[in-house]
Amino acid sequence: MLDDDREQFRGDARRRLLLVGGCLGAGFLVLGGRLFHLQVMRGGEYRTLAEDNRISLKPISAPRGRIFDRDNHLLVENSPDFEVMVIPELAGPLRLLFKKLSRHLEFSEEEIRHLLQMARRQRSFLPLRVKSHLSWEEVSSIEVRIHEFPGVDLQNQSVRFYPFDSLACHVLGYLGEPTERERKRFSRISFRSGDLVGKSGVEQHFEERLRGHEGVLEMEVNAVGRHVRELHRNPPESGQDLHLSIDSDLQREAQEALGEETGSVVAMDPHTGEILAMVSAPTYDPNQFIRGFSHAQWQALSTHPDRPLINKAHQGQYPPGSTFKIVVALAGLAAGKLDPKEVISCPGYLVKEEQRFYCWRRHGHGSVNLLQALTQSCDVYFYKLAERLGIDAIERQALKMGLGAVTGVDLDGERPGLIPSRSWKRKAFKASWYPGETLITGIGQGYVLSTPLQLATMMATVANGGTVYRPTLLKLEPGQQPEVITRNYFAAYHLEVLRQGLEAVVHDPTGTAAKARPEGGIRVAGKTGTSQVARHRREKSGQIIKSTNEKLQDHALFVCYAPLDRPRIAISVVVEHGGHGGSAAAPVAKRVMDRFFAKSGSSS
Amino acid sequence: MNESASGQPWMSLGGSAALGWQERLRRFPWSLLLLLMLIIGFGFGVLYSAVGGENNLWLFWRQVIQSGLGIGIMASVAMLASEKIYRRFAYLLYSGSLLLLAVTMIMGSVGMGARRWLEIGFFRLQTSELMKVALILALARYFHDHAKAGALGWRDLGVPFAMILLPMAFIIKQPDLGTAVLLGGVGLSIVVVAGISWRVLITLVIVVGASMPLAWNGLHTYQKQRIITLFSPERDPLGSGYHIIQSKIAVGSGGVTGKGFMAGSQSQLDFLPERHTDFIFSVLAEEWGFLGGVTLLVLYALLILRAFLIVEMANDRFGLLTVVGATMLFAIQVVVNVGMVLGLLPVVGVPLPLISYGGSSMVTLMIAMGLLAHVSLYSRQHGRSV
Repeated sequence: MLDDDREQFRGDARRRLLLVGGCLGAGFLVLGGRLFHLQVMRGGEYRTLAEDNRISLKPISAPRGRIFDRDNHLLVENSPDFEVMVIPELAGPLRLLFKKLSRHLEFSEEEIRHLLQMARRQRSFLPLRVKSHLSWEEVSSIEVRIHEFPGVDLQNQSVRFYPFDSLACHVLGYLGEPTERERKRFSRISFRSGDLVGKSGVEQHFEERLRGHEGVLEMEVNAVGRHVRELHRNPPESGQDLHLSIDSDLQREAQEALGEETGSVVAMDPHTGEILAMVSAPTYDPNQFIRGFSHAQWQALSTHPDRPLINKAHQGQYPPGSTFKIVVALAGLAAGKLDPKEVISCPGYLVKEEQRFYCWRRHGHGSVNLLQALTQSCDVYFYKLAERLGIDAIERQALKMGLGAVTGVDLDGERPGLIPSRSWKRKAFKASWYPGETLITGIGQGYVLSTPLQLATMMATVANGGTVYRPTLLKLEPGQQPEVITRNYFAAYHLEVLRQGLEAVVHDPTGTAAKARPEGGIRVAGKTGTSQVARHRREKSGQIIKSTNEKLQDHALFVCYAPLDRPRIAISVVVEHGGHGGSAAAPVAKRVMDRFFAKSGSSS
Repeated sequence: MNESASGQPWMSLGGSAALGWQERLRRFPWSLLLLLMLIIGFGFGVLYSAVGGENNLWLFWRQVIQSGLGIGIMASVAMLASEKIYRRFAYLLYSGSLLLLAVTMIMGSVGMGARRWLEIGFFRLQTSELMKVALILALARYFHDHAKAGALGWRDLGVPFAMILLPMAFIIKQPDLGTAVLLGGVGLSIVVVAGISWRVLITLVIVVGASMPLAWNGLHTYQKQRIITLFSPERDPLGSGYHIIQSKIAVGSGGVTGKGFMAGSQSQLDFLPERHTDFIFSVLAEEWGFLGGVTLLVLYALLILRAFLIVEMANDRFGLLTVVGATMLFAIQVVVNVGMVLGLLPVVGVPLPLISYGGSSMVTLMIAMGLLAHVSLYSRQHGRSV
């Protein structure tokens, strides 16, 4: 009976156990199926995910190209910059470490507190920057004791270094954080935080060439981002070096010659367009952009009234003043409306439409021909010549000589200057051209604007006999042909007449630029200019009341080329508010020429 | 019906006193032990990799020692006790465990945000582990004592249900949903095999199903979160979905043959959380692939089948139901743990039997295995065959 009961229960239990076991079996089948689905069917997909998980790509920055001058002097290099990093988890008690480190590094109690705070905020295996921009004493002091500080690492990164500080700073430019626009412009480059980009000068213009291609370091990382080992290294490709046409001796001389003045000097090879010197003053130190500014320093630099960050050589637009008379004279000769022997009388002013147009010399020059008019820079002569030519002929000639349009120099942000015309005036003022405006244009005043670079180009064009070369900051490689913008065919006779006049400006006792005569008897063709900043108040008698306010003083200009017979250098000088071209600008050109000929010999 | 009535006939065949050492050794279910040791050995290989090889070798050696102790415990539970001793002390053990659960509730130490441990001197006792064994024995004893022909109705099941639900309530409060569900599953299996009527079983299923929404509201936020993330782990890939996503990546990337011993990138690079405990199956699947995963599942299945065979050897209801409970304790943990690792079930801290690192769960399981062996050891079948 009991056994029967037991046997019956056992039978029941067996059946019921089948239900439980069936459930379990189904569970195991589901698990097996799921395993099959994940591993066999979707294995590849998950394998990719696992790979993505474990590989982190770390960019290796490419060394930026170096910049040399035409004699292979290094103007911009990448110099090592040392910083001390610490990995807190390897270093032991941080406070103690910082105390020990402060015997070899300069840092304050305040900085230590800040560092300790930082250390608390980040993961302890990530490196913490203790100090950057170490001095050499600090580097050597730490380096020999590095084994005493576990977890401390001396790291070396390369930063841009301008060994001559402000020398040619406007040509070289400076680096800074890229703006949104620059990010778009260099869309092929993927910028990362801390990346710098050229903000001006050739650093900006040749950004893509200088930059190179960054390399990649493939690191295996774990779930919290700790690097485990290096998998693969794709080395970076350094940027290309630049060889500039700049002669740093000449550049330095020009910079020093300008001294404390505000202004610009451009010196150019008239047969190639290679720029030998390009100065804009005041200057700045591009290294400061790497080291970083204090707020006050930046304010001082960016709001300075003389705008040191602007390169006045290609961005400063000045009325060319009397230097423009070169254009007008050539235009007259070319049009056949000017006989060099013709004599014009200058009483000190010219009346046109019941308006008096004064000569700079209020007593007048008396009777002058072209040679004398150029030598003494007679305004009345050129009023009359301009009147005879008309604005259209002057405009044509100016454009032919590289004025009124960007020259295409290897710098960004070049300004075109301005050569006024009838159509321009209609567009700009919705007014027609007045004959009086032609007169003013004839002496390079009124609407006319040009950059120092354009004036140097103009002078180079006269020097080489009519070819406008694109000004370039890159040294021509052997066999490389210079780029021609316009090839004019000026009659040799016309050029000879002009040349005589320009020579007399410097070498004739009555000339306005005696101070530009170089040492060693080298003959120079030059032209002074004085461009009005503000309309001077005149009394009824015509007496000019010169302002004593420096900012209202005239700009002083001087353009020249030398030697006269076989020109090798063309120069333009602008001294803002310098007064007379002959006294303020010509001596600067003289120093540049002296240096140039002292270096290269007076004959080539 | 009383104890002696059902126990009497075999006492003469050989009580504990009558069973000699040699006989006990001969009757010991060696094939069960062999399967256990295969799984444990398999686990050593996986654990060695999961703890990062040399780096945390002490964890590995601790597990080896714990496993050795576990086998010792199994043998002791199987062979040292006399036949009826577990039945005799079943209620006492259950009451004691329930009391300890209550004490833990009040003064247990908090670990990982839950109150699960009771500190006794240097010893940390996870009281819910004790309850697993106690519940199996107590339920087996109850159905043994209240044997009845035919299906069991509501009236017959009131006490057993109370016995199951009471500890579950304590453990849910800890909160430890995984262990509570495990207890419920084990308890229900015993009740089913003991003879629950189909009507009650179906009603029960319906009632539990209907009360789900209610239970949902009773869950802790983190428990709800786990269930939500189970179905869409991508909603919170760095938070609660992280475990599931990384575990699936580890398993899936293992492919058919796996990445090789110590070569799993997910496992070796710390992407897998809890990889030497609850998520150790991911390490296995990543490094040994589908073949390794299926091999382990087959080993488990064989072990469970072998355990169920002991049902045939049981002398009485107590023995039979103990075998069912002990086997289900093992089987449910396998299904829940692997299901969780494969992203089929919510993440409820249930370890993988015999393989996950951890002493408590190892001890409990080996006690259960010992009970299986004990039933087999004292089987009348041996007597017949001899």
